[in-house]
Amino acid sequence: MAGDPMKKQTMYFRMVTSSLIRRRSRMLVALLAVAIGATVLSGLVTIYYDIPRQMGQEFRSYGANLIFIPSGDGSALSMDAADAAADFIPADDIVGMAPYRYETVKINEQPFMAAGTDMEEVKKTSPYWFVSGEWPENDGSVLVGQEVADYIRLSPGDTFTVTGTDIKDESFSRDFIVSGIVQTGGTEEGFIFLSLSDLEGLMGNEGELDVVECSISASQTVLDDIVKQITENVEGVTPRLVKRVTQSEGTVLTKLQALVYLVTVIVLLLTMICVATTMMAVVAERRKEIGLKKALGAANKSIVMEFLGECLFLGGLGGLLGVVLGFVFAQTISVNVFSRSISFQPLLIPVTLAVSIAITALACLLPVRSATDVDPAIVLRGE
Amino acid sequence: MNILELKDISKIYGSVKALQNINLQVSQGEWLAIMGPSGSGKSTMINIIGCMDKPSNGSVILDGANISKESAKSLTNVRRDKIGLIFQQFHMINYLTALENVMVAQYYHSMPDEKEALQALERVGLGDRAKHLPSQLSGGEQQRVCIARALINYPKLILADEPTGNLDETNEGIVLDIFKQLHKEGITIIVVTHDPEVAEEAQRTVVLEHGRVARIVPNKE
Ligand SMILES: Nc1ncnc2c1ncn2[C@@H]1O[C@H](COP(=O)(O)OP(=O)(O)O)[C@@H](O)[C@H]1O
Ligand SMILES: [Mg+2]
Repeated sequence: MAGDPMKKQTMYFRMVTSSLIRRRSRMLVALLAVAIGATVLSGLVTIYYDIPRQMGQEFRSYGANLIFIPSGDGSALSMDAADAAADFIPADDIVGMAPYRYETVKINEQPFMAAGTDMEEVKKTSPYWFVSGEWPENDGSVLVGQEVADYIRLSPGDTFTVTGTDIKDESFSRDFIVSGIVQTGGTEEGFIFLSLSDLEGLMGNEGELDVVECSISASQTVLDDIVKQITENVEGVTPRLVKRVTQSEGTVLTKLQALVYLVTVIVLLLTMICVATTMMAVVAERRKEIGLKKALGAANKSIVMEFLGECLFLGGLGGLLGVVLGFVFAQTISVNVFSRSISFQPLLIPVTLAVSIAITALACLLPVRSATDVDPAIVLRGE
Repeated sequence: MNILELKDISKIYGSVKALQNINLQVSQGEWLAIMGPSGSGKSTMINIIGCMDKPSNGSVILDGANISKESAKSLTNVRRDKIGLIFQQFHMINYLTALENVMVAQYYHSMPDEKEALQALERVGLGDRAKHLPSQLSGGEQQRVCIARALINYPKLILADEPTGNLDETNEGIVLDIFKQLHKEGITIIVVTHDPEVAEEAQRTVVLEHGRVARIVPNKE
């Protein structure tokens, strides 16, 4: 006997890698499929877990989470009391604070609710409002809720007349320009939003509010503490914590996650089909080689092991590529869409690798099984 | 002692009787040629002897064991352990080098051994081509690699189906010389051929016609 026998695994490894490397044009298609699948998988999973966290922060830091309403019944909330209450909130934590005064007015003899507010603050406390047209820049121009706009057929740029009676029971009439139409998905769509000073001008008095919406970026304990302080120290103001924005945040994120989940599953299925088709073609074009190996004494098990080895190699390499490309993909989306960068999750490496290998192995199962059906006698028959 | 005995072998494909009532004995160390027109059943016979197909009727005794009733799996084992196959088309695995192609046969048999595989290549005059891929080898060189591969596990029986059918005269001469050498070493050889020059080198020639043994011609020594 000559020389040292080589380990069987070494030869196995050599056969599998040679097949992949020296037949690369064919294998590149399958590798590409796996890599794209893994990229989308790891990219979307990153977004799936990272973006909601980031977006949650965004929602929380901009949405209204505390409101001031008048104490006692019937009385209005005075501007002075609201200012006094606001002093108990750390200035740095205030994202926005929008005052609202509601009055009933008439347009074409139909009653509507008019809200006087500060538009710049509304933008901060209700970032989810969707305005077609422009936000009002100056007095005399207003935002009209979608429902109102539909009802009296208003579009941005239109002028309409508001009538009504002021606190002294004298009637007023004034023209306003529609600056934008607002959609919120809530009751705001039945309102007309004008500047607080415009509404005060119509009603003939000032300093009275119905509610103040505050958006505060602070933890729950700090918020609770603010509420306690105001309740104890400010007369005529009842502070109340609200959950509305957090709830809408929840549904948006659930829907977003369901979508991401669905896309991931579809992409993985497509990857599997692509890999299975490629492997099917690979097995078909290698029937002669399989026959030859069998003629040389290869057991079915060996044939299966070799093809499976190639599959697993593809799965592993594709998965690894996918981890890297997926992170780049997620980062690009995150930076462009959410203007934030995301942190790399090391756990994604084993997860993406495992899923890629499992999907590839599953896709190869059928084609590889058919490889064992090849009759070794075909190698003796002519082409 | 007989290494191979075919007893009343028939092989039927649907309505085609590829082989009919073949009886043949081959003794250890013999060099046998099989001739006959195309379609006379030569390849079918090699397939049956080579454990790649089973006869419809009759029995095959190979190295003292009746293999005609064996399962496909144990036939694979018998083929791997006792038989070296050489084909008309030089079937190599196209993504493996000459050396690796030889080592594949070792791998399926027992253990790959690079040095031994290299020696086998040197023996067929291809020591300097070991690292070449099939696409870089001529037809004659590929066939010599196939012979090296067929010999690597020390088979008791070499089966060659028209091994020189696709070769030019020079390469045919080289292959014949290798066969002569193997014969001298005592290996049993069964070679299917169309070429009377190749058949002449054998000790006996079996002529098949329409799936039957038409005659057996002993060659002059
Ligand atoms: N797998 C098969 N299925 C059907 N017919 C076959 C098969 N293999 C061989 N035959 C038929 O058997 C006969 C003998 O074929 P073969 O042994 O290949 O002849 P040879 O090698 O002498 O040219 C031919 O008629 C051929 O068509
Ligand atoms: Mg033939």
